[in-house]
Amino acid sequence: MDCDRMEKLLPDYWQGALRAPDAEFVASHLKVCTACHELVALGEGLAELPLEQPSPALRERFHAMLDAYEEGRGEVSHFLPRAWPWGRNWMGARPTVAMGAAAVLLVAVGFVVGRSLSGGEAARSQQEIAGMQSELTNMRQLMVLSMLQQDSASQRLQGVNWSRRQPKADPQILGALLHTLRYDSSVDVRLAALDALSRYGDQTQVRQGLTEALESRQSPLVQVELIDLLVAWRDDSALDQLRRIERDQNVDPAVRERARRAIDQLS
Amino acid sequence: MTRPVPDEELMMLVRGGAGDMLGVLFDRYQVPLFSFYSKLTGDRAASEDLVQEVFVRILKYRRSYRPGTAFRPWIYKIARNAHADQARRRRTEVEFKPEMAPAILQNDTAAASQQEALLHRALLELPEVKREVLLLSRFQGLPYDEIAELMGCPPGAVKVRVHRALQELRDVFLRLGGGRTANDKVAGVNHGL
Repeated sequence: MDCDRMEKLLPDYWQGALRAPDAEFVASHLKVCTACHELVALGEGLAELPLEQPSPALRERFHAMLDAYEEGRGEVSHFLPRAWPWGRNWMGARPTVAMGAAAVLLVAVGFVVGRSLSGGEAARSQQEIAGMQSELTNMRQLMVLSMLQQDSASQRLQGVNWSRRQPKADPQILGALLHTLRYDSSVDVRLAALDALSRYGDQTQVRQGLTEALESRQSPLVQVELIDLLVAWRDDSALDQLRRIERDQNVDPAVRERARRAIDQLS
Repeated sequence: MTRPVPDEELMMLVRGGAGDMLGVLFDRYQVPLFSFYSKLTGDRAASEDLVQEVFVRILKYRRSYRPGTAFRPWIYKIARNAHADQARRRRTEVEFKPEMAPAILQNDTAAASQQEALLHRALLELPEVKREVLLLSRFQGLPYDEIAELMGCPPGAVKVRVHRALQELRDVFLRLGGGRTANDKVAGVNHGL
């Protein structure tokens, strides 16, 4: 009898949706009924089974599919073989031919679509596309900023990678990357941020931020990369900071030597 | 901390043609979907194919996603259909084989792994429809109304199905485990997690 009542109550019990008298009944019944107790133990065991991780090949296949879609715009390439030998370079040995063909196709599609739209429709469609693109840019920005603040280093690393998809420099994202470069707890994430920032040598905000990031507390690995980048950019405004690093006894000797050579090159 | 962008907003962008936003949804769903499939089919390779197929279908049918639709039931609906189509193609019953046991067990004690393997085996001996409702409700933690929407039945019916499936799982679990009670075994599972 009591077990019949349990049958009605347990589904809500699992989801924590029982009211007090029912919850008390369940608790006291579980103390005396082995069968129901076993059922609950099994249900809890199911809830706590660990998630299983797919192989890294799944991500490769997904991105290959996505790349194919992006290149064909709307044409979803179906099943790529599981053990695709070229990974993400799925076009294989003759990428130029395939890219050429894709480009011709895109131009042809664009021509046909352009021709088929009358003047008014074309203008409206342009507006819609512009609206969509601006929304997309905002969304990408939001994604990157959100990911850079996550607790897990791998997610922050993903955030840095996402920032590379920004078509042009966005001050907020550059600011977030510079912050990551200086303060992230993981050296890998800091190095990735530096790599992402290296595309923006023409931005004053970035050049200044990089010079500031070259401080004594910084990891030697990052310091070396920073110095090399400043030299590659021929940024002589970093000279003062380089001299400070070169003189600083707390800095790794290899880094100081690197700084000395950089000073010679930039002076 | 910035609020995570809701799945629904991302899917609306994918619908509008921003394929790269699907990458974020992939990051969010590949592990839950793979785990679901792996436990449903007992076959890791087939499960990876199915996850890939789900995302191919999302791109293909992205325009059928309507604003205001909750994304999670929508993607699970696609996942169920993909699995049903694959099963139709294969037309063979999945039987449990030892090599189908999940390769990655995150327990550090052999005993707990054993209990977990027993639970997996018991699951795989259930009829698929029962295994599925248990996985969706207990393992994936989907609320009854979402499962009801997926299965096209009232939430009350889902609750009954979950309970009946769990009773059957208990019988199989006891039969496979022999002497000891489910309480002992599952306690082992839980402590090992």
